Amino acid sequence: MMNIKNFAICCIFKRFNLIENINRWPEFSNRCYAKATSFPDYFQNPVFRKEDQSKLIESSEISKLAALPVKPPAAYETSSTYHDPLVNKVINHVMEMGKKALARSLVEKAFENIKRIQIERYHLAKTPDEKNKIELNPKIILHKAIENCKPLLQLSPVKRGGITYQVPGPITDKRSLFLAIKWLLEATNDKERTIHFPEQFAWELLDAANNTGKVVKRKQDLHRQCEANRAYAHYRW
Amino acid sequence: MFLRYWKKLGRNYSQSVNFRTSENLPIHQNDKHIGLFYTLKQEKCKELFGSGGFPKSFMKQTKTFTETSIMIRQPALDIMNCIQLSDFDKPAIRYVLFGEKGSGKSLTMAHLLHFANEEGFLIIHVPWVSEWLRRVPRHKEMANSLTRDGFVDLPLDAAAWLLHFKTQNRVYLKSADLVTSKEYVWSKREKTEMGKPLLELVEHGINRVKYSCDVIDVLMSEIKILSNNKKCKTFVAIDGFNSFFYPLTRLNTPTKRKVTPEEVTLTTSFMELTKNNWTNAAIVLTVDQLAVPDDRQESYLPRYLLYKKGFEHIDPFVPMEIGRYTEKEFLSCASYYRDRLWLRGPPDVETELKFTSACNPYRFMEQCAPL
Repeated sequence: MMNIKNFAICCIFKRFNLIENINRWPEFSNRCYAKATSFPDYFQNPVFRKEDQSKLIESSEISKLAALPVKPPAAYETSSTYHDPLVNKVINHVMEMGKKALARSLVEKAFENIKRIQIERYHLAKTPDEKNKIELNPKIILHKAIENCKPLLQLSPVKRGGITYQVPGPITDKRSLFLAIKWLLEATNDKERTIHFPEQFAWELLDAANNTGKVVKRKQDLHRQCEANRAYAHYRW
Repeated sequence: MFLRYWKKLGRNYSQSVNFRTSENLPIHQNDKHIGLFYTLKQEKCKELFGSGGFPKSFMKQTKTFTETSIMIRQPALDIMNCIQLSDFDKPAIRYVLFGEKGSGKSLTMAHLLHFANEEGFLIIHVPWVSEWLRRVPRHKEMANSLTRDGFVDLPLDAAAWLLHFKTQNRVYLKSADLVTSKEYVWSKREKTEMGKPLLELVEHGINRVKYSCDVIDVLMSEIKILSNNKKCKTFVAIDGFNSFFYPLTRLNTPTKRKVTPEEVTLTTSFMELTKNNWTNAAIVLTVDQLAVPDDRQESYLPRYLLYKKGFEHIDPFVPMEIGRYTEKEFLSCASYYRDRLWLRGPPDVETELKFTSACNPYRFMEQCAPL
């Protein structure tokens, strides 16, 4: 429990790092398949980013890889300058029934909306100081928003003596990312029928990046609940 | 030493930023300005394009960019040159703009409209023909024509167009030369006498929506007569002209019968206008794949889109292809987008976008949007 503050500070540091190199997100670089694939185990994951390749060349590990068979990269694994693994992840979460082109267009539309809103704010701002404060890059806003929505603790139900206790405990980075994206999408889909997804998603992302809004409140509620249930913490074992 | 450095700096600066020109009057623009953006004044925009004329996506862009800027491109300059050099005593010359989807036909036309407005032409501008024939919103009104048997009127659309015509030509309609040549009787009590100003005719069409289609018909013939008599010079601009020749419209008569475009009164009046049997006028038409349904979008060439009938209708015409961006235009557009904060990121983004958008202006704009 005491670590929450430390954690928060950590997060802030992380965020600064993040803004510097937005495209790096090592978590997803290794692709895992849900089902068995036709590739045997010794097939290597493709290295499709130029930076990664140059790193391999520098550390002269490339000769090792060159001798091994490599899986083909998926369609979304490109060396494009605006490739971003986190954005890809979000698109996959938005996707329903495998309609990825639609999901991508929706997320991109949301980015466009964010950009339009922010550029409008930029033009409205009077002093250059205010202008500098406004973040115009929608991808950085997405990163910030997800970083702000990630919970640090979770509650898991544990049955002791016929009573189910909600026991607080640590959360893995992967699950907290999953929850953050899931909450953002749930908050977005909780909208009027007449408002379109991209619009609402843009607003939610802007709110979350600003550390306000429904999703951040939900995260804080969870933290509060964890704090309240600290007495049950020992049931974890 | 310092001076030399300063000069070099200045040169570099001008090279990287040179995407804008202060030459805001199309009359003075020449080949030196190709690929540069010029800004339209806010009032002019409202006057010329207040009710249509710019594509919807471009309108959105003007709001985000807080200005209306159009790129000066070769085809527009060529047509302006032609118009300036041509003999207006000869029959009207028809220019046909064609090109791929999103290559900037409508914006070229907007540029030409600005030119015509500055040159003192009377403008007859149809923002988008499909708006009449193919778009059927719930409040669309279709009525059988009173004057011509078997024809269909679109009273509301016609009245809206008359309003558009009135705002575009506010200045010229005030001149005393523009008067009707004969008496028109609309009903027992309503008539427009000979020698009344055209403005009165237009007002009548707007106030009495029932007669708006007939008013347009009369207006066209009146303008033709006035042009022939050198009372005014006329600039006709029709966007999505090929929509008039697609075999079927999406309109229905009150008895639920499908309507062909020839049976719409508006079609006949604008067909009459695009013939070259009058003088003292310039006619610019665009031929667009987007103006017809999917099954007729295989090619963007005029012969295919206009069918044989339409092609023969406008036969001696000057074709003008609006192409993709050239190297220079692309660079200037990219730096304009960077200036307007629309495009961000390292410089190699541009090479990639150039590749993926294939230098198509609209696709380039679209692909910049989520970046």
